[in-house]
Amino acid sequence: MSAGAKKRIMREYGECMADMPPGMKINFDEKNMTEWEIHMDGPEDSMYAGGHFLLKIMFPSEYPFKPPVVSFKTKIYHPNVSNDDKGSMCLGLLRPDEWKPPNKVVSVLRLIQTLLTEPNADDAIEPSIANEYKENRKEFEKNAKDWVKRYAK
Amino acid sequence: MAAQSIGVFTIAFPDPTTLSHSNNDLVTLPPTVSFRLSLENNIRTLSTNGVSKGSTPHGLLYVPSLQSDDCKDIEKQHVPNNVTRVDDLPHNMGYSLVAFAPWLKQPKCIQQYLASARNQPTKAFIVYQPGNSTDVPPPMNDPSWGLGDGGSWKRANPFPVYAISSIYGAIVMKELKLYSGNVTEAPYGNTLLSIYNPSSPTDYIRLWATVNTGSGTELPSLWVFLVIVLGLLIAIVGATSFFMHLVQRRRRNDLRQRIVNGEVDLEALGIKRLTVPREYLEQMPLHTYVPRCEPSEVEKEGVPDDPRTSPPDTSSAVRADTGLKTPAPLPSNAHASADMAPPAPSAFSQPTCPICLDDFEPSATQVRELPCRHIFHPDCVDTFLLSNSSLCPMCKTSVLPAGSCPAKITNVMVRRERMIRRMRERSTANQGSTGGQTGHSPVFTSSHPWPLGSIRSHIGGAIRQPRRVFSAPERSTAVPVPMEMGRVDDVNRALDEEARPATAGATQTSTIQQADTRSHCEEETAHIPNRREWARLRALALLGHGQAPFVDVEEGEADRRPAWRRGLRRMFPGFR
Repeated sequence: MSAGAKKRIMREYGECMADMPPGMKINFDEKNMTEWEIHMDGPEDSMYAGGHFLLKIMFPSEYPFKPPVVSFKTKIYHPNVSNDDKGSMCLGLLRPDEWKPPNKVVSVLRLIQTLLTEPNADDAIEPSIANEYKENRKEFEKNAKDWVKRYAK
Repeated sequence: MAAQSIGVFTIAFPDPTTLSHSNNDLVTLPPTVSFRLSLENNIRTLSTNGVSKGSTPHGLLYVPSLQSDDCKDIEKQHVPNNVTRVDDLPHNMGYSLVAFAPWLKQPKCIQQYLASARNQPTKAFIVYQPGNSTDVPPPMNDPSWGLGDGGSWKRANPFPVYAISSIYGAIVMKELKLYSGNVTEAPYGNTLLSIYNPSSPTDYIRLWATVNTGSGTELPSLWVFLVIVLGLLIAIVGATSFFMHLVQRRRRNDLRQRIVNGEVDLEALGIKRLTVPREYLEQMPLHTYVPRCEPSEVEKEGVPDDPRTSPPDTSSAVRADTGLKTPAPLPSNAHASADMAPPAPSAFSQPTCPICLDDFEPSATQVRELPCRHIFHPDCVDTFLLSNSSLCPMCKTSVLPAGSCPAKITNVMVRRERMIRRMRERSTANQGSTGGQTGHSPVFTSSHPWPLGSIRSHIGGAIRQPRRVFSAPERSTAVPVPMEMGRVDDVNRALDEEARPATAGATQTSTIQQADTRSHCEEETAHIPNRREWARLRALALLGHGQAPFVDVEEGEADRRPAWRRGLRRMFPGFR
């Protein structure tokens, strides 16, 4: 990782600290600054309210030319988060072909928060959950809350 | 050649010494009143000398005479006294003969039989091992056929040698006795004489043998057949390979031509990662940064840029889904006009370097301007372009000059490009067939999850309807656009508004960044049928490798394939 990229990550960390979206906390390790741990509370107006989620943001060595990789370490019932041990999330500006260098981690964090409130079923990574979200919202909410209770307490 | 069948017939023919009849008078006697034997299975070919494929050695059957007395004594056990000998046949009339003898235990006697047969116009030699067996005689290399000379007898005689089973040998030998002179002892002998031999009592009724070595229509031996099949296969494979090479070569040239013409951008299509050679990079202008607006106006708020002066990248951009460059309105002219404005370089709309996020310092910072007119710190963008990509990090437009083409167009690149083109054509066809739906917003039915979805998204991408990521409209006001992003967004927004008619309302401007991202997504993915699966795979690939799934196709595919597949691919380019 080049010095420029490190400088940029440091700078972004500073900006995140200055303008932290509510309910989020960043664990930043100077020695391994390409891997951020994010502790996030489920947004109050979502079905994930009351849950505490652990996320990882990994910065690829080509950052900022390549997007950071976001993964949920806490299991979450969500159409845009893969339901496996990776818990990966890849949509919108996180897509490699959508990513532009001026995009920032703050906007990534905001995107994540927004997605928890409003899942994007049309661009889902888990089609079955997306279908349930679209057709049987009650069942979806019940499942999501159930998972919060089970995994995110 | 190996014998297929041996037939023994009784024939009648006039005595050539008393009558000058031609051979046409030779009559085969009917089996009802004479001896006839046909052997098909129990034949063993011992030697094939002097017989060619398809020929049928035939002749009058006789038993060769022996020289030594001890052999004659042994012969007596198996051969009756008055069997047909050479003396019982017309002399020196050129009749072909077939010798017949028991395979005596003493090699010396057999040699005498063979020597005797060599002195006659013998066409074939039929032997049998004395006994009562009806089995096939032992094979050619069986020791019982050995004469103590290492098998050279098989080659030493000008006629083929066949063996029949013991019991048939004994039968034929008995019949040779009956039909050796006067046939009165034979069954129906008097009848035969009265019917077929009325003219002269010296006319002949003898046994005649025919060895059939296989007809011409019969298939050649298995090996020849296999060789022919193999040869045909090789010829077909070779011809196919040659043809595919030819086709692939034409496609490569075609693709190269289109790249040179600027119709296709390999990197924008994700086909091949290109880099910018240093000499091209050095041709891109370096300027000293001059803010576009008055310094007092360059504030943190980010002044909305005038669309007309913003980078003209939408006009010359490569469409994400097609990879086709829409004909740029004279990009060279635009560039020339920028160059013609020295010494003060044209004003720049970007106040920060998008890579390191540092602000450019007016009249101090050196900036690199790419052909799409985006500017960066040279330190930030040069290494990227030299080693990572040929696309502008901002607008993904190729910075390579028109007509530049990678040195090597590989078959993989051709295949990818064709695949993308086909998908594009398909989605265009879909769009055409559902074109009537574009007016009213189509209802997404989950019974056809992907076809409708892809069509719909394509339409959405094509007419650039403003779309929101999130279904609830109230969120659009709840999510504020970050301050810092506002400035770069302004550029994007300006571009979007340029391309988009005045549909951009007040509510969507705040989500325009997301919406823009969204529509790009859909354009990009419209040609992939199962978008969700695709997205999933991409996400997994992303996590698996820890980097973007932009696999460089050459190395990536070649390494994962086993050697035989690589060989196959080399032989049949275009083969999957």
